[in-house]
Amino acid sequence: MDFKKALKDFWYGKPHTAEEGGRRLGENYLPKTGLYKHREWRGVKDTFYYFNYIWLYNYIHMVMDVMKYGGLINFAKGVWRYRWVGQTYLPVLHWFDRGMEGMRGEALRGSAWHYRAMVNATIYQFMSMFNADTRLHGGKKNDAWYHTMAMKETVWGGMFYGWRDKFKAVALEMIPYFVTCHVNSHTVHNYIDAVQSIGLPGDPCPMCQAESGLYVLDDIPDYSPFMITCNEACDGSVGTAILQDWFNDKPLFALQMPMIFDDPLANKFVQKDIEKCWKFIEDQTGVPMNFDLMCEYIERQNELMKFEWEKWEVAAKTNSYPINGVAQALYRIYQSQMGDLPIWHEVDGHVRKIMERAVRNKTNTFPNTRHRVIAWSCAPLYYSNWCTWAYNTWGLNVVINMDSLMFDMTIRTDSYENMLEDVAQYHMWAPMRRMAVGGMHHIFELWDYMERFNCDMVAMYDQLQCKGMQGVHGLFEDEFRDRNIPAFWIPHALPDSRTVSRAEMRRLINDYMTTVMHEEPLDPSLLELDDDMTW
Amino acid sequence: MKKFVKKALCLGGIGYAALFAVFFFDLDGKLLFNVVEPFLKNHYDNMERKDMLKTPYDMDKFPDYKYDEA
Amino acid sequence: MRDLKHLIYFENLLQEANNELVQQAKAEGKFAIGYTCYFMPEVLLDLPGCFSVRLRAPRCSSPDIATYYMSARVCHYGRSLFERALEGGFNFLDAQMATETCTVTCRFQEHIKPKHLDSVKDMNVIQNDKFFCEFTDVPFKNTENDYEYFRDQLRAHVLTTLHDNLGIDVSDKALKEAIKQHNEVCKLINEIGDYRKLDNPTITGYEFHVIQLVSLVCPKYLILPYLRETAKEMKTRKPDEKWPFRCKVVLAGSENDDPDFTKLVESCGAEVVCDRYCYGAVESRQPIVVEKGEDPLYAIAKHYLKTSNCPRFMPQDEMRARKQRLADLVKEYNADGIIVCSNKFCEYWSYERVVDTVVLKRDFGIPVCSIEKEYINTASGQLRTRFQAFVESVEIKKIQEGK
Repeated sequence: MDFKKALKDFWYGKPHTAEEGGRRLGENYLPKTGLYKHREWRGVKDTFYYFNYIWLYNYIHMVMDVMKYGGLINFAKGVWRYRWVGQTYLPVLHWFDRGMEGMRGEALRGSAWHYRAMVNATIYQFMSMFNADTRLHGGKKNDAWYHTMAMKETVWGGMFYGWRDKFKAVALEMIPYFVTCHVNSHTVHNYIDAVQSIGLPGDPCPMCQAESGLYVLDDIPDYSPFMITCNEACDGSVGTAILQDWFNDKPLFALQMPMIFDDPLANKFVQKDIEKCWKFIEDQTGVPMNFDLMCEYIERQNELMKFEWEKWEVAAKTNSYPINGVAQALYRIYQSQMGDLPIWHEVDGHVRKIMERAVRNKTNTFPNTRHRVIAWSCAPLYYSNWCTWAYNTWGLNVVINMDSLMFDMTIRTDSYENMLEDVAQYHMWAPMRRMAVGGMHHIFELWDYMERFNCDMVAMYDQLQCKGMQGVHGLFEDEFRDRNIPAFWIPHALPDSRTVSRAEMRRLINDYMTTVMHEEPLDPSLLELDDDMTW
Repeated sequence: MKKFVKKALCLGGIGYAALFAVFFFDLDGKLLFNVVEPFLKNHYDNMERKDMLKTPYDMDKFPDYKYDEA
Repeated sequence: MRDLKHLIYFENLLQEANNELVQQAKAEGKFAIGYTCYFMPEVLLDLPGCFSVRLRAPRCSSPDIATYYMSARVCHYGRSLFERALEGGFNFLDAQMATETCTVTCRFQEHIKPKHLDSVKDMNVIQNDKFFCEFTDVPFKNTENDYEYFRDQLRAHVLTTLHDNLGIDVSDKALKEAIKQHNEVCKLINEIGDYRKLDNPTITGYEFHVIQLVSLVCPKYLILPYLRETAKEMKTRKPDEKWPFRCKVVLAGSENDDPDFTKLVESCGAEVVCDRYCYGAVESRQPIVVEKGEDPLYAIAKHYLKTSNCPRFMPQDEMRARKQRLADLVKEYNADGIIVCSNKFCEYWSYERVVDTVVLKRDFGIPVCSIEKEYINTASGQLRTRFQAFVESVEIKKIQEGK
């Protein structure tokens, strides 16, 4: 036995290499379940960082967050009543594990903070739902019920900043559906099956199916007197609203998002529709929109955007960006869609310190990077951590992704007119809208971003039920060929892990890397995993 | 006092080590996967749920929202 | 019943987009303007000097190249149109007036549009140097704000484009002339269609479907004489002594430009007495009313947003009113039931169909047959079984009710 090496491995963790003595992360798993025989030993410093500042810290803060936002009793009632919270959110630390497998040093620290923020925002939202939910309070409409607004998850949360002092705005499906898929992909199958059981065909976007299925299974809290819906991002969302209106059976306002949003006429039109939406809320709540409050929160959100731009600069121009692909994607989409929350600022503060230190020390945060990858189109929710696997296995470092690049703007607050104009624009640059279902000009902005982020490879998501992206599939193939850009496709069905399994996705990437790129894996133990039953 | 501190440190140390064992051997994951999730799943699968297809669909319950004055 | 004089001629006109009348109008120096969706007001494309052609891709059962570009997981209609375009079937078009009213037809139109972008190649699908494609944004609601916006969109993207590129007269006078012609088509189609309301209708759903389709795909000024003659012929047309069907149905749902589908339904014993689907007459053949002193373009914008029953419309009252309107159509046309069909991969109708299936039966007592179909229904065996079973169930219901 080589004691020197054993001591080195103990102190620093095993090296990330295919050579003998490499870390072989795939051997840590128990078959099928994705559970670990033991969690990864990352060396003394990183293992104890993970244990203290990620595992313990987040378990403790989860309890504290629950207590802070409504108490353990409300939480327990919610867990007992709603599948999506009970079945999903308990294994949340495993979600951390999957996202941060193999990470070390600053990359581990920076990415973990992003996860912490998302957990806090999630608890804030489901506790807000439970506090107001008539189903958990003997059918009674309490004060919280009258002071909570419900909107479709594709409506930007900032639309309701003008009532923030008196009302909470909580998206109907973001927590019951969207976030669950990342944490525990089993839950959502129930909702997809439920809506198909009442006659919906299997081919519409599974995200929309799941959103509707929540209602079919009677698994949505009743926490608000009305709801705001929206046609963002696609035909399926419009369809979902039809079912939601029926099952929700409450006053509903449909906020429009023009399809041709580059048209100068569209902005003015949307401004008027947003004003109508605000008027609807005023009529429902009896409380006028507070412009000063709106501006105050927009300014806070602008700060988040400005820091995001700083992060992009570092990601684009250095090797010291301390956030991995999955943390970057999920945090950004969550934060920009939900709108301002104190936790985003707190976490950005931590991340700033980590990032500045990494840049100052010229730390190569992903030292085994072989390719800088941009991920384009809609990502698989049940395998958002594929990029962690891809880095560990092949050195594919997903630097940036399409969802992060939405909402790429700050909003002016110097006058009501400017604010409204920018809010309208922000609304129209929503996820899956601008670069997925929007015009071809935006969809093919990919090349510009590749250059900007210094990427040499594309991970092209292939959401099998997204009609918009399927409709341009061949053009992408042609362009990749004509431009001689290495690109691999990742087929998936957004939340539904039964359509394309994780193993199938990995196999396609493996095939591409060996047969097209002629490369050898960095960690052969990860090439084939049986994680069919994993969360 | 010294004894108390020593005892507290000792207990704390044991607790910390136990938690580390839970962490390192993924005992939390194993418990949740093998015990808690199946139990809750069974509970949710057998819950009585409202038949949502019986939800009324009134044609005139919600009037035309005329907010053109906005 | 005696065959309609022009039926075979009409059927032939539907075999190709570039049919005899389209060729004639082109030879007369008129510009052919393609469109796909009801929300592109055909009346504007029928201004003097040009004519509208609502695009179809009959007999396209194997859209291979389009499937490479758009994958097999999108609506067959959009793919078929693209395949037909790639085959050269739409080369006669001088322009395409596009809407992004559903994702896949939008993608089809984006593919044929000369984009002039560095980021993505132009496919030069339409072999016509002067061909252009212009998109118009269509709102999802029907309030005053939407009418005004749609009017502005139509002015900017349809009228200005037609005028600047093709020299079309887009004055109010020209608009009113186009409306007049449009309304005459509507009047004739409605006149012909109203015979479906008779106890023993003197026109079948198939025949009407063919007539309605030719009015959408042929230059209006050239098809009008035939429609006039057919309307006149209808006045004296005698029904069969014994009504040859077993029940009457309203056919509702998504895109349907396939008269053979209507024929299939009718061959199972259900006469299609009302066509409430894309390409149907319920909406598209309502005359446009211009109030005194009203801007004709505004009247057109308002008309198209007000008359549409597309599930794309999102206001709550509108979503719910659609079901009531379907129920009203059943009453108006003395139908015994509704067949609601959505094209495979049509997201709007997939959802709408679910609600229709439950609510129309539950709240209105109307028997509903809910099906999913392809654009070209080559495999009709399963559908036939479904329709036959539905007809039987309707008959049993009628017997139980003592009718």
